[in-house]
Amino acid sequence: MSGTAGTMPTAPAMPGATPLMDRLIRRTVERHVPLSVHMDITYRCNERCVHCYLDHEDHGELTKDEVFRVLGELAESGTLLLTFSGGEIFLRKDLFEILERSRELGFDVSLKTNAILIHAMQARKLVELGVRRVQVSIYSADAAIHDSITKVRGSLERSLTAIRLLKAQGLQVKIACPLMKQNLSSYQEVVDLAAELGVPYVIDLTITPKMDGDREPLSLRATGAELFPILQERSCGGRASAEKAASSAESLGSAVSSSVESTAYDDLTCSAGHNSCYISPYGDVFPCVQMPVAAGNLRQKSFQEVWRGSSEMKRVRAIRESQLRVCSKCEIREFCERCPGLAMMEGGDLMGPYERACELAELHARNAGVANPVSAWHREQANRPAADSRRETASARSAEL
Amino acid sequence: MSANGHGHARVFCRNPKLAWREIDGEIVIISPEDSSVHELNETAGMFWRSADGKRDVDEIVRELASLYEAPVELVRADVDELILDLTSKNLLVDSLMQVRP
Repeated sequence: MSGTAGTMPTAPAMPGATPLMDRLIRRTVERHVPLSVHMDITYRCNERCVHCYLDHEDHGELTKDEVFRVLGELAESGTLLLTFSGGEIFLRKDLFEILERSRELGFDVSLKTNAILIHAMQARKLVELGVRRVQVSIYSADAAIHDSITKVRGSLERSLTAIRLLKAQGLQVKIACPLMKQNLSSYQEVVDLAAELGVPYVIDLTITPKMDGDREPLSLRATGAELFPILQERSCGGRASAEKAASSAESLGSAVSSSVESTAYDDLTCSAGHNSCYISPYGDVFPCVQMPVAAGNLRQKSFQEVWRGSSEMKRVRAIRESQLRVCSKCEIREFCERCPGLAMMEGGDLMGPYERACELAELHARNAGVANPVSAWHREQANRPAADSRRETASARSAEL
Repeated sequence: MSANGHGHARVFCRNPKLAWREIDGEIVIISPEDSSVHELNETAGMFWRSADGKRDVDEIVRELASLYEAPVELVRADVDELILDLTSKNLLVDSLMQVRP
């Protein structure tokens, strides 16, 4: 009888997977095992972030018993990595009971929170329960900027106090910084803050339309011209690069910044629907939090029925990168972080291109030294007859409205 | 009864701080302390599932020997090696002892 097949650290491994994780990902993708599940247990929140896509009203969250049932079904389905998020998860009075049940069922539990309700007691309890990692949103080291984004005075101080408490308890903490026009100037401060706190950070450029389709948050996105100096600084060994040792899980510009990249995904567009999915507070199952393809509701069906049987999951699962009519031919594909969910939300087509991905891909390519990089979609648009271009522009304008 | 040299049964349990799941027939374990990932092969997994803090090692060894139709002493040697490996990684703990902080 031989022992353990191998050991490897996951945290420093992101975004690239080591062989053991790669093998696990490959097996779960091939067998359609939902290895990783992101579960929002509330959309209620005690902050009102300017870029947030959620409706914070409670439209009938799963009860504790319903959540327990879902957790049991996920455990039976092979889910190991479970992320609880929201909304603000600490607004659920039964949060610790949910976490306790999750740990009893053997899940690896990570949390996403603004942490402003975490005090010493909560931090201790999270450690006792065996929660592995807590990700806290920090927008700036400048309270005026951070608080203006969350719209809660004193929120930065409370979040930072909580991070220190969590660290003192020995929990793994990670800072997530969604970057937008409001906090673009804070980028380096957040990097420095993460180093000072001794935690990894992730910079995320993903700003999405609201759940009801309202595209107003998109106006908060930093433009390519605004982002380019940051990219340049990072790749030229500036201060940002010097801090890399303190931040093992950093990422810039990724729509799926917390996920593990793996060769196991081969011709797949991402992990959504293959070995990961998202569950809303109301029990709706989606391939991913960023992919508005409702596959079924867990009040009406079991998780396995939705995961294995829904036509929506099968449709998403059938998509291959090589089938993407435009993007598969793109010369700068290696610089692109196209997200199929965002392609649907922003371009209306799960398999199509969308402006933000092309813009960022060209930016990354230019930063890497590619001369005049142009995405396949932009090239196609440029080569169309003028009349077609005019129609496209008119159509794009009406979509914006 | 298997003994630890002091006449006590050896009983081990999985470290309760771990996350683990049987995926596609193999045991995958994640330690929250250092985020390390471990994988057990099928036979090691058989022992892992039995390490519930209630059954002593000798009982598990006899079951495995019967299941695999292998000599008890051979299985015991393998299990001892596995226990050393798993306890050194703090994945498995002696039921009589506190979990290492």
